[in-house]
This record gives sequence, C-alpha cells and structure tokens, in this order.
Amino acid sequence: MIGIVLVSHSEALANAAMELALQMVHGARPPIRIAAGAAGGFGTDATAIASAIDDLATTEGVLVITDLGSAILSSSLALEIRSSTYQALISDGPFVEATTAAVVSATAGSSLTDVAAEASNALSAKKTQTVTGAGASVAEDTNPDNPAASAEERLINPMGLHTRPAALLVQTAGEFSADIELTNTTAGRGPVSASSVIGLLSLAASQNDQLRIDANGPDASRAVNAVKQLVLQGFGELS
Amino acid sequence: MPETLTINALQQWLHRFASEITRQADWLTELDSAIGDADHGTNMVRGTAAVVTKLDGRMTGTVQELLKAVGMTMVSTVGGASGSLYGTFFIEMARNSPADVRLNGSELENALHAGVNGVIARGHATVGDKTMIDALEPAVTALSRSLADGRQLQCSIAAAAAAATTGRDSTKPLVARKGRASYLGERSAGHIDPGAASAAILLAALAASIGEGTA
Repeated sequence: MIGIVLVSHSEALANAAMELALQMVHGARPPIRIAAGAAGGFGTDATAIASAIDDLATTEGVLVITDLGSAILSSSLALEIRSSTYQALISDGPFVEATTAAVVSATAGSSLTDVAAEASNALSAKKTQTVTGAGASVAEDTNPDNPAASAEERLINPMGLHTRPAALLVQTAGEFSADIELTNTTAGRGPVSASSVIGLLSLAASQNDQLRIDANGPDASRAVNAVKQLVLQGFGELS
Repeated sequence: MPETLTINALQQWLHRFASEITRQADWLTELDSAIGDADHGTNMVRGTAAVVTKLDGRMTGTVQELLKAVGMTMVSTVGGASGSLYGTFFIEMARNSPADVRLNGSELENALHAGVNGVIARGHATVGDKTMIDALEPAVTALSRSLADGRQLQCSIAAAAAAATTGRDSTKPLVARKGRASYLGERSAGHIDPGAASAAILLAALAASIGEGTA
C-alpha cells in the first residue's frame, strides 16, 4: 500500500481532513503522516515534510497532498532535502477531495500513479454535480470488447451513490481482477471504472436511477454479482 | 581591496544580515501586514537568529558546508514560503560553491546566480511578480555586468546591492502575481513587497561585510 503525507498550513485542518477521509474506509487503511503548521503557528515546514516522507519509506511510494500555495513550494523543497529516495509525488488535487480520493484508492491497493491520478481528478465529481447541462458528465474510454458479464439494478439508497457507498464499491471492486464499470443509464452518465471513487461520484446517481454493471475479466461474473449484491442491499446503509 | 571572500567574511555577512533584519523587523512586518499575514519580520528574525546560533557553535568547515547549514537552518526556522525560498537560495549557493574556505569573484558570482535561479525555479516567479526576485534578479545581473566590465569585487557587490534596493522599490506600484499577496489582486499595489525588502537587506549586508575589507 502507498503512503500519504498531508501538508497543511493548519494542523487542525490536516487532522480533520484525515479523519473525514478515513470515514470512507473500513479495516485496512493506508499509512498517513501529517506535516502541518510551522513554528507553532500557521505555515508549512519543508524539513517536517521531508521527515514525514522519510517516515513512510517502507511503503510503495508516497503521495503528498497540499493545501494553499506555499505548501507546494515547501513540499517540492522537501523532496530535494529528504534522505529517502523511493518515489514520492506531489498531488495537484484539492486538499479535502484529493485526501478522500487518495485514501480510498490507496486502501484498494492502487499504485502510486493511479492514486495520484484519482487525487488529481478529485474535482471532477464536484463539477458534475454543480454544472448543469451536457458536457458535465465524465466519460472514460470504454472497452469495445463484449463484457464477460453484466447486470442492471435500481439504486435504492435515498441519498444516492454518495462518497461512502462509492468507497465501499471501490473496495469491493479491488477484490476482483476483472475490470468493472458502472453506467448510470437513467441519467446517461458513464461508464466509469468501479475502482475510481471520483468516477463513481461523477455518475451523480440518485435514488431509483438504473445502474448497469459491466465486468470484463476472468472473474467477471463473480465481480458483477458482488457489486449487484451491494446495490441490492443499499450498500449496507439501510437498516 | 579584497578579491576573494573568505569563510570569515561570509560569516560576517550572515551576522550582519541577522542584525539588520532585527533592526528592520518592525518595518518588514509592517510591509507584510499591508499585503500579507504580518509575520515576515518575526519569521526572519527567528530564522537569522537561529543561523547566528548555528555559526557561533561551528566555525570550521568549507564554504559549501557553511552555506548548506545556513540553508537548512532557515528552512526549519523561518517557516512558510520565505523559509523554503531563503533555504533554497543558500542550499543552491552551497551546491555551486567550492569545497574550500574561500570564494573568488567568479565563484561568488556563480554561487549567487545559482541561488537566485533556485528561488526562481522553486517559486515560479519572474521579475515583475512583486516578489523577492524583483530585488535578487537585478542584483546578480548588476554583479555580472560589473565584473565583466573589469571592476573589482567590492565595487561590483556594491553595484549588486544598489540594484537590489532599486529592485525592491520597483515592487511598490506592482500588483502581486505570486504568493499570499496575489490573493489581494489590485489591492496589493502601493506597498513594497516584504520579501523584496528582506532580499535587499541580504545584499546590502554582503556589500557592507566585504566593504570592511575582510579578505
């Protein structure tokens, strides 16, 4: 699993962002370090960031997620003055959204490159929900091959497919080797990868929307069935 | 007239930088309160005081080691963008300095250019963005021009310091395009940039130290 370093001007902000993101995962969680504040006040400190990165040297790479401007500046200096040499990237994603996306994606076992892409893309779900009209949906490349398995189910969750069920879906999808895609056929959004919480959120699926599940790969039918069960059971949110 | 800067002269430069920062701290903070978060004076006093403590504890080593230690100290004590930028300045100077106890004119010129280029690369700022680059960039340009004209090192550093002061004053009418002040947009015009002000102090301290003939 990759590690995550949260760089913020405010320790309280970083802690809150971390707690919020960790709401989305259950069981295993990625190692996270916080490098926030400077000299007892607001600010960022490159040496503190460097030691946070070094502290995660046993992970499969580190994603550094930053808040305001100088956090990036301090982080880029930290990458130069750290003592470890394994791969570390600075995310350009928005702090809270990128932290959430990265925690979910890292928990699902994604590579540093994939987690970084998720974090970088973390505004797209918000854009889909706030911009009306065509072009708001996020389309991804579709596999032209016939899916090995597919199913369609109605979403019963009153709050729709929000972050928590999306995160659960990503975790479930991570258990299969098949590529799983979801389409909101009611709204005509998707298909998107079931391994991307941001992609799933961009479906903007509301209660009663029809979700199509397509899977392609050796365990496709088991994968489709697992996702179908999640949808049928309202992602465990309905008591 | 000294044509080399010894490690002792560099240490005097840094001591003078610290004492001038302390003397002008209220003014730096006042500048920062107009367009920033009113802590530049306090932060620089803390950082340069830590540098002095570091120097007083360790008087041996090469120019490279000295400048690297100064850079790392400033990174961890100044905090924020200024800490990273001043840290980068000294660390890049160190990387481009000889492993020796003195610098000649062209070595100093190379090291200062590397320091300024490091700050530019780190902050992605250029002249006119209302940052410390507005003082630093003209200073190293003036230094190179003066040395190329065959003038002596002391006189060339004085030219660099004068260019830094002019550059500092040039930030007053500018609208900030980088850093915290850029959030203010048009309202940032009419104030000298605090980073350019502390950078001009850095160059003035260098000129004053070499002016004392500490070869």
